[in-house]
Amino acid sequence: MASHSIRVIASTAKVNLIMTWRFFSWTGFALRFFTPLMTLGAAWILYNVVYARQTLPPGFGAVIGSSGYLSFITVGNAFYVFVFAAAFVVGRVMFWERATGTIEATFMTPMSRLAYMSGIMLAAATNSLIDFAAVFILGLAFGFQIALLNAPLFLSSLLLTAFGLFGIGLITNAITLTFRDRTTTANSLMILFMVFCGLVCPVELMPPWAQLISKALPLTYGVRLMRASLLGIVTVDPMHDIAALLVLDAIYVVIGAITLAQIEKNLRKKALFSIF
Amino acid sequence: MFTRVVFAEAVKSLKVYFFSTRTLFWALALPLGNGLYLYFLYLPFATKSVDLQFGATTYTIDLVGFTIIGQLLYSFFTMMLLAGASFDAERWQGTLEVLLLSPASRVAILLGGALANAVNYVWMLVALVLSWVAFIHVGIFVTDPLALCGSLLLSYSAMMALGMCLETVDVYSRRGSIFTAWLQEPVMFLSGQIFPLQSLPVFLLPLSYLLPLTFGLMAVRLTLLGGASIYDVRMPLATLASMTLIFFILASLLVNYAERRAKTKATLTQF
Repeated sequence: MASHSIRVIASTAKVNLIMTWRFFSWTGFALRFFTPLMTLGAAWILYNVVYARQTLPPGFGAVIGSSGYLSFITVGNAFYVFVFAAAFVVGRVMFWERATGTIEATFMTPMSRLAYMSGIMLAAATNSLIDFAAVFILGLAFGFQIALLNAPLFLSSLLLTAFGLFGIGLITNAITLTFRDRTTTANSLMILFMVFCGLVCPVELMPPWAQLISKALPLTYGVRLMRASLLGIVTVDPMHDIAALLVLDAIYVVIGAITLAQIEKNLRKKALFSIF
Repeated sequence: MFTRVVFAEAVKSLKVYFFSTRTLFWALALPLGNGLYLYFLYLPFATKSVDLQFGATTYTIDLVGFTIIGQLLYSFFTMMLLAGASFDAERWQGTLEVLLLSPASRVAILLGGALANAVNYVWMLVALVLSWVAFIHVGIFVTDPLALCGSLLLSYSAMMALGMCLETVDVYSRRGSIFTAWLQEPVMFLSGQIFPLQSLPVFLLPLSYLLPLTFGLMAVRLTLLGGASIYDVRMPLATLASMTLIFFILASLLVNYAERRAKTKATLTQF
């Protein structure tokens, strides 16, 4: 069973990687960088032109680390590409299966749905690593600097966040399948993550109600760990954030797997797989 | 005939999209989310106001109001972009060819779609503004209501006319929705929605001046939050009026060209 699942993961990832690179779309590739670029540009203008580096509050340095405000923003935006992958690639798998008329055939196979989705996430994460590196390279133009690299923490933050986003991708699929949605769920998720995960502002500075929402999102901890691993932030407790991330990952993946299974059962029963 | 087509198209779009998840997202969730995102972008700077330079005068404007007004007008712009997606939806449904076989004026179809999207958005906009004034206590400072009404109306008409031009892209190309998605962030950046226009690098300013959103933001922010009179904002208002006319004429030329080309190449419904 395990070896079968591994084969499903490997073959799905392979197919998806081939599809991405064989039919590579420059417009789609460029589109993924628009939001990070816009945020980096806007942050640069606010910091250097509008407020001329003068109005950062005292104590802000401890929260953002020794590399400065623009490095802080760059790391946040680099993570955005993973959110994009989770919401628009993993989150819309079933939408595309339905649109291309292959959803019934996919669900007729005896493969594990989780293995199939894991394969897609693996391919999406591999592709996202390229985008992730590209955002850091773009960030160099805006003043990104690494203060101190903590490699184990860096890798753990990447892996654990990807796992949590996978769970969220599963839930998105379930919603997309049920409501026959094209982009609204994925777009709403993007907004939720962008606003509440501290991509552009330390969570500590947000209003209490926003901090409460941010605590339920895995990306909040992932970004904080990533920043701690690159920017030498000493106020972060890595063990606490890793533990929180593990708990959230488990919750999201379990909820995602259950909802996907339930929705599949329901759609089979009502013969609604390919009906629009 | 023209008015009937506009009305019919508007009613059809309203029936399909009024209070749909799509409208709720674009007209409610997106403005709220983006507004918060931009507000949080300002949070590290420990400031409550933004200096907006216009001519020789500098207006100090409440930060929350600055962000909210920017987001509200930008959302109207995105709703106009979405009007173009109605052609895309017709294509997905397989009804685009039938629609374009009818003798209905194409401009009337475009106008009907744009009007429906405007109506879909405006009632939410009014609710949002009222709730923000009541709960967040946005610092509103209006000295000339006529200037404010003129700013809002001309901003909306200019953006609607631009939206009609962009709608034609969906007839012309199957990649219309990608093209409109491409526009979103650059427009946000160039229009002065995120930060005051005087902070934008000078070499980018010519691009900003091509956008009705730039002048709309200037006029509405100054009249709603800065207490400017109609005389103060005469330049952006005149520009918006000219843009309305130019984009409307351009839309009617473009839609005919796009349709002719798509018919010649038989690409109306081909994916």
